[in-house]
Order: sequence, then structure tokens, then C-alpha cells
Amino acid sequence: MSKPVTIVMIEDDEGHARLIERNIRRSGVNNDIVPFTNGTEAVNYLFGAGSRHKGDALLILLDLNLPDMTGIDILRRVKEDRHLKCAPVVVLTTTDDSQEIKRCYELGCNVYITKPVNYESFANAIRQLGLFFSVIQVPHAAP
Amino acid sequence: MLVAISTTSVVLVNQSRKDNGRVVHTVEVENQMNALLLELRRAESATRGFLLTSEPRFRAEYETAAAAVVADVDKLRSLIGDNPVQIENVKRLQQPIEGLLGEFARSIDFANRHDAPGGVEVMREADTHNLAQRMNDVVENMRAEEDRSLAQRTRTADGTQQLASVVTVAGSGLVIVLAAISIWLVRRSSRARDDAESRMRDNNLNLETMVDERTADLREANDEIQRFAYIVSHDLRSPLVNIMGFTSELEQLRGDIFRRIATLDRAGAEAPLMPADGDDVEPLLGGEDGQLSQDFAEALGFIKSSIAKMDRLISAILNLTREGRRRFEPVKIDIRELIAGIVATVAHQAAEAKAEIHIEPLPSIVSDRLAIEQIFSNLIDNALKYLKPGVPGDIRVRGRTKLGFAIFEIADNGRGIDPRDHQRIFDLFRRAGTQDKPGEGIGLAYVRALVRRLGGTMSVTSELNRGSTFTITLPLVWATTNRNGDS
Repeated sequence: MSKPVTIVMIEDDEGHARLIERNIRRSGVNNDIVPFTNGTEAVNYLFGAGSRHKGDALLILLDLNLPDMTGIDILRRVKEDRHLKCAPVVVLTTTDDSQEIKRCYELGCNVYITKPVNYESFANAIRQLGLFFSVIQVPHAAP
Repeated sequence: MLVAISTTSVVLVNQSRKDNGRVVHTVEVENQMNALLLELRRAESATRGFLLTSEPRFRAEYETAAAAVVADVDKLRSLIGDNPVQIENVKRLQQPIEGLLGEFARSIDFANRHDAPGGVEVMREADTHNLAQRMNDVVENMRAEEDRSLAQRTRTADGTQQLASVVTVAGSGLVIVLAAISIWLVRRSSRARDDAESRMRDNNLNLETMVDERTADLREANDEIQRFAYIVSHDLRSPLVNIMGFTSELEQLRGDIFRRIATLDRAGAEAPLMPADGDDVEPLLGGEDGQLSQDFAEALGFIKSSIAKMDRLISAILNLTREGRRRFEPVKIDIRELIAGIVATVAHQAAEAKAEIHIEPLPSIVSDRLAIEQIFSNLIDNALKYLKPGVPGDIRVRGRTKLGFAIFEIADNGRGIDPRDHQRIFDLFRRAGTQDKPGEGIGLAYVRALVRRLGGTMSVTSELNRGSTFTITLPLVWATTNRNGDS
């Protein structure tokens, strides 16, 4: 635990991103949050420019509906990556289709959360996620 | 045509038979004439014999011969009654014959008186020769006449026969020609039929491919609509999350702002009472500020309730499209048991509404269990929901089978539906009657979509205040092949 965990948030809707960030902060999580609004930038950050993240502890918050690619692709690549496959991935999306949920878990997502329209439920879910962040041990990316 | 030919030939054959009869008749006449002459000669020779020998044998012979002559003459007359020339001839024949017979009689008389030479004298003197000559002439005449008529009749008979054979030959030819024509016609029509048949087969094939194409098109269009509805409803949800989220944030801000105002107010007036940490700050505010806070709360409340409603609608569409994509799995369903299960789950509502639900014997069907369950539970829910207030509910579920279909009826004594609204109630988000019950107007649209997918139909009969009866017709055995390929 030399370095604190960095939260990578891949969410195209800035409103959602803001709401998620606020609620994470409210739950007392003060880790760095690196936001991305599209898949390409996120992919560049995660996989591009050598192995920047060796030794970094990452947690990925992932939306499935991105403008340039589907979050499922990112999930697959993360779980296939030698360095990143241990990083927890939280899928946070509006889709509540059971097929989609099943697919994400099969690909190795750790938590799947449907964004409810009801804000109390939404805030609640994120706060619980914050609780989850505070207790889980995130392994450092393999060197 | 053939009838005319046959009639003609029959007539001609008859004619020729008649002609032949005439020919025979002529021959008969000649025979008769010969017989007459023969008898005459017999009489003469008998007379002569008697004169020579005086034997009574000859006299007897003469008498029979004479009688025969008279009879022959009569017969001849009757035979030639059809020919005036011959009648005249017979009349002329009469006289010499009578003369001859008279002479014979006289010589016999002499002989009887044993005066044979006298008799001989009589015979010699008598102009027998002359008489015989005259008679022979007449007979010759008659024979000539008969020959003439024989020749004529033979000619006529030949002509008739010839005509008959010509007609027969022509008729046969005609028959052959007709047969040939009819064979040709039959051939032609059968060829035309074969052509039409093959054309029809082609058309059928075309039609089938066309139907297949159209079905594929429709299925594609349906899939497109489903996808569209899914994506739209899905994407609409995203902004809704923001609206709802920031509205809630606003609400929190409102709390913060008004709490601060209240604190400032109080700080300005007297010592701060207590640090308000509850959300409800209204009691702390007075006058204009309180009003402002309430307006704020009202506006936010409307926004939130509208968002909630929109979310429910979007969820309904999502569920509908999801249901449209679900694969049906036909299993054998005991409908009565299934409905009893549904009734058990709504027992509480039924007791509240003082309603009784009667399940009559129902046919079992093979269909998708979940879909059937949703159909009936929606309809029973509706029946319970829209009872007449103050009237104990009476809901009946009836069923029967007809021609491979099961017909179910859910009848209630509730508030009923205006006939003008019978179509409307099946539309998505449309409702009818007094809007005093919660609901989005989805149930019946959903039920009808399910019934259609299961290959059935549904209808309603109802009048205001007279209860409603929903009728569902479902195939007894739902085949997987139809309408399941759209997922």
C-alpha cells in the first residue's frame, strides 16, 4: 500500500460523472479520481504509452454506453491485460438487461450497478460503493 | 346431327323395305296370273278328258279347276286393287274366262247326256281358240304391265337402297369427322389446362417466395421497432438520471440556503437558537421567506413526480420490448390451477373489495406459462381494481373450446367501459373512465401484445355500469414455429 488507489472513472455523461463523484466524496472516500468522457482516451490512459501503471493500484468505474465504443470492450481488454487484470472493475450503467449483466460478470466485472433514476437509490448505491472502496484491498498492478 | 342422320337412314331403310314389298307384290301378281292360266288350262284339259273318256274323274277335276279359276280371279282382283290399269285388264279378262268356262260347262253338259260327240262339237265349234287368244292377250298385257311396274319398283327400290347406303356412308364419314374434331378439341383443352396448371404452380411458388419475403421484411421491421424502442427508452433514461440527480441536489441546496437564511435572520434578531441540522427548515422561517421556501419545494416536487412518472413509462416500454424479445416456451398448462394460483395472490385485494372470484371448469392448453400467467393476472387485477364502489364484486372466469382454440372469458360486475372507449383501452398509456385508480395504461396493451404473440385474439364487451367481459381466444396448442423468430 505504498501508493493510494486511483479511481479511473470512464463515464461519457458529465452530469452522471459529477453526481458519482459527489456521492463518492460524501461517503468519505478521498482517493484521486481520474475522469474520462470517452473510451478512446480511457484506453490510451490504461494501455497506451508503455506500462505507466506498473505498480499503480487502480479501480475502474465503467459505463457501458460510451460514444466511441462499448464499455464491454474496455472490460474485456482490462481483464485480458497482464498488468490490469487484478484491478477491480465496477460497471455502473443505466442498462438493467439481465443478458448484459450476465455478460459483464462472465467477463470478470466485480460489481454491476444499475443507475436508478430515483436519486435516493442512486446516492445510496454510490455511497455503498464508497464503503466498498474503503474496505477492499486493491492489489498493485503486476510489475 | 347424328340424330338427323339416323332418322334419315331409318326412314330410308323403311322405304326400301316397303319398295321391296311392292316388288314382291308384283311377283305375286304374276304368280297369280300364271296360277289362273294354269287352272284354266286344267279345266280345259279336264273337259277334254271327260269328253273323250266320260270318266267321272275328269268331271270332278273339271269342277275343282273351274272353282279354282273363279277363286283365282277373285284373288287376282284383290291383289291388283292398287293398279287401275290392271283392274281394267282384269275386267277385260273376265269376259273370255267366263266364255271359256261357259263353253266347258256346255260340253260337260253334252257329255253328261252321253252325247260326247256333241260335246266335242261344241268344243270344236266354240270359239275357244278365239277366247283363249283374247285371254292370252289380256294376260300378256297384264304381264307386260306387271313387268313394267316390277321394273319401275325395282328401280325405285334400288334408288332408295342406294340413297340409304349413301346416307349411311355420309353419316359414318360425318361421325368420323366429328370424332376427329372432338378429339382435337379435347387435346387442345387438356393442353390449355396443363399450361394453366403449370402457370398456377409457378404463381404459387412466386407467391410463397413473396410471402416469405414479406414475412422477412415484416420481421425485420418488427425487430427494428423493438430495437428502436429499446434504445430510445434506454437512452432517455440517462438524462433522466441527471435531471433527477440534480433536482435532488437542488433540493439539498434549498435546505442549505434556507437554513442559512433562517440562521442569519435569527442572528440578526436575537441569539441563535440552535444549529438546525434537520432538513425541515420551514418552521424556523417566517413571512416571505417561508412562502419562498414552500414555492421552491412545490416546484421541486412537481419536477420529481414528473420524472418519476416518466421513469415508469420508460420502464413500461422497456419491459414491453423485453417481453417482445423473450422466447416463448410452450408447456402444458392447467389453466384452472394457474388461475387459482393468481386468485390466491390477490385474495387480500379481493377481500378488501368484498369480491368473490368464481373459477368455472377451464380447458388446459399448451402455451407459454409466464405469458399466460401475466395475461390472466392483469385481467383479474383489472377486474378487482375497477369494481363499482359499494357493490360486492362478482368475477367469473369461464372457458370452452372450439375448433382448436380455447376461449376464456373474464366477466365482472364492475363499472364497465363506455363502448366508445373499447378500442382505446388497448392502446399503450391510454385509459378510460374515472381516473381514480393509479395506473399507467399499460396492462391491457401488454396483455393484447402477449395474446397476439401467442397466436390469439382478444376483445371486450361492456357497457357503462353493467360490468365488462374480456374474451381471449388462444390456440389449444401453440406451435413454436410461428412468431418466435423475432428474438
